Amino acid sequence: MKFWTTRIVSFIIGIGGCFVIDLLSHRFVGSYEQRLVVLAGLYVTLAVSLNLINGITGQFSIGHAAFYQIGAYTAGYVSRTYITMGGHNPPAIPWLLGMMVLGAIAASIAGFVVGLPSLRLRGDYLAIVTLGFGEIIRILVQNTDALGGSYALDKIPKIQPIWLVWLLAIVCIAVCRNLIKTARGLTFLAVREDEVASSAMGVDVTSVKVTAFIIGSAFAGAAGALLAHYEGLITPTTFTMDVSFIILTMVVLGGTGSITGSAVAAIFLSYLPEYLRGLKTSAGEPLVVSGAAVIAGLAAVVVGVAFIKRILDSGRGTPRSRALKYLGIAVGVVILEPIISFALHPIKPLSSMSIEAGQLRMVIFAATLIVLMLLRPEGVFAHHEFSWSWVRKLFGKRPVPQAEVAA
Amino acid sequence: MHLFPHLLAGLEFRTLPEQLVNGLFLGAIYALIALGYTMVYGVLRLINFAHGEVYMLGAYTALFVSYALGFGVGSTVTSSSVLNLLIMLLASMTVCSIVGVVIERFAYRPMRSHSRIASLITAIGVSLFLQYAGALFLPNSPPPSINEQVNPFRGSTQLTLVGPPASALQAIRDAKPAAEQATAAFNNYLKAHPTESEFNISPAGQPLRDAARTAEDKLESAEREVTGSGVTITIRYGELIIFITSLILMGILKYLVSNTRPGRAMRAVSHDFDSASLMGVNVNSIVTFTFIVGSALAGAGAMMQATFKGTPMTTFFGLLPGVKAFVAAVLGGIGNIPGAVLGGLLMGVAETLMIWLGYSRYADAIAFVVLIVVLLFRPEGLLGSAEVDKV
Repeated sequence: MKFWTTRIVSFIIGIGGCFVIDLLSHRFVGSYEQRLVVLAGLYVTLAVSLNLINGITGQFSIGHAAFYQIGAYTAGYVSRTYITMGGHNPPAIPWLLGMMVLGAIAASIAGFVVGLPSLRLRGDYLAIVTLGFGEIIRILVQNTDALGGSYALDKIPKIQPIWLVWLLAIVCIAVCRNLIKTARGLTFLAVREDEVASSAMGVDVTSVKVTAFIIGSAFAGAAGALLAHYEGLITPTTFTMDVSFIILTMVVLGGTGSITGSAVAAIFLSYLPEYLRGLKTSAGEPLVVSGAAVIAGLAAVVVGVAFIKRILDSGRGTPRSRALKYLGIAVGVVILEPIISFALHPIKPLSSMSIEAGQLRMVIFAATLIVLMLLRPEGVFAHHEFSWSWVRKLFGKRPVPQAEVAA
Repeated sequence: MHLFPHLLAGLEFRTLPEQLVNGLFLGAIYALIALGYTMVYGVLRLINFAHGEVYMLGAYTALFVSYALGFGVGSTVTSSSVLNLLIMLLASMTVCSIVGVVIERFAYRPMRSHSRIASLITAIGVSLFLQYAGALFLPNSPPPSINEQVNPFRGSTQLTLVGPPASALQAIRDAKPAAEQATAAFNNYLKAHPTESEFNISPAGQPLRDAARTAEDKLESAEREVTGSGVTITIRYGELIIFITSLILMGILKYLVSNTRPGRAMRAVSHDFDSASLMGVNVNSIVTFTFIVGSALAGAGAMMQATFKGTPMTTFFGLLPGVKAFVAAVLGGIGNIPGAVLGGLLMGVAETLMIWLGYSRYADAIAFVVLIVVLLFRPEGLLGSAEVDKV
């Protein structure tokens, strides 16, 4: 009974949430913010689907943008040919659903192809192959004139349901979450933990790896189809290596293996650059920082990281005293920044250099990756997941028996 | 994509030797970078993603040093010397070594106890960081390039491999007197009739004019045949210097690795990290040594690429060469020093062959195709030995 209540509540919250987001973003915000909401939803899908490959199955793939691109170009091309060029006018939402399926199928074929080398390659080698695959796809698309070449594939009919974007994200989360609760899903985790041991225990490692790649890339392909129809115009530069790295950063930041973590990190990291870009001075101009301030910030972070690392490594102190120390270091970093900045002030080329806050986007991503790896390689959420029992605990209820908490 | 027409019709076999030589010269730079990848991988089992960015910083160092030597934007200095080049080379190598050591000390060393994937993510982070933080501080739009006046060795030389066929030369020799005769006769006719010209001629002069024209046409076509046959190689001095310097540096590396104490220690660490440390090798200083040598080679490559080829610089200058050099290292067998050189040269040749085949737009993709093929069918590379995964 309890099982079914939580199920139904989750289901209603999930589906309802999509429409609430849709309603709110149409009612209250402009088209620019709507686009952010859509991109956040797409990034959640991408991060969670990459997490299935990277975090849950442990196959380190860093070419996820390729699947995104394949989905986008397949769906975009078919839509453009059939609707814009062919003059047909099918009902929008069913057509878009069909295109998502098409994008997913195309991407999952590619996922199958990339998954095959993963049978022979491990760790860093697989990473390089997926990266290379992503670049090959991009270069091929860039040189195919039928797909717009290096310019763009344009005139894709615009179909922009925000709820569908988030529904895809929710479905992706649900599929991944439910998958690892099943016996079949446990084999994915087993492969991550120890490939040899799990194959000795009778796990079909080949099929697990390939399945992970197929499912993960299918969701990325569907997200690509949505992107193509939302923007109406896609270019190869939308799918560069950087995008793969951004998705990877989301997964790593959230915690490899934690679906909750990936989703939260995806929302956070897709919003952060827009927040930086939107920072305004009181005069309403884009916020500009000096080169000296940036260097000072980086230096202060380095010092702070070094201290935190030292405390982490020593492993002494009660949780309380450590938390106090961390707090002290954080305050110290904030104080240190202006001091270093002031010290750097006499260096003219630095202090006169002006950098818009929006330009710091990728620098912050990269710094996040490094700092996170140094201090907490397992990611912010590590392997923890959001669960109803956790919510109950939050409201002071007794935790349910262990069997149901297992996450 | 029209595969076959291109493949068959567009090929100019005469230019093949020249392209092969160009490929070798290009490959020398890849080999220098690949050595850095392969040595670091050999010692730490880590793909040093940031190596391409070290290369990029080397190019920028060369740029700034060339500014300091008086070859800045709009400079009018036209005389340079080998000394300037040496200063730039040493500066690039030094700065790259320092950058490499700093990266190792602060980003890779703390990660050594963690999983290899964590190190790899750190390396990706360092690479992205240098690209984008560098873009904030280094001049990159418009992309600066090193003033070519700093290079005293400009110009090129031509080697003739196969001369034009004897029959063609004979044809020229035959055609020349006839053509000269006919032209002279026609010119004499024109002198005698000053009112007429080549395009305004009386019927009496027409046969003379036509004879002169046909004789000249014959001579021209014979000459065309001579220039169109034969195989020549144009070698630019700058590229020749790149190649020779690379060979010298590789020779020094070979000596360092096989004949010196740190070199022997490096081979020991590369063979077995833990045992080497148990046998009294100071592993940390050997890793530092490896990064110094590898980064210095990348710096030398960057300086030469930027100076002798004048490639414009952005902070993504090292991205593609880095990736290609990594592929070269894998192709030769990662961790294997002669393999990296071989792989680098092969990659250079493969790239110019793609351009020769008419697929210059896909020249960058060939690296990845080679990579995937090698990893699938011979993951240990051409010269590497298969490594058995111990469980």
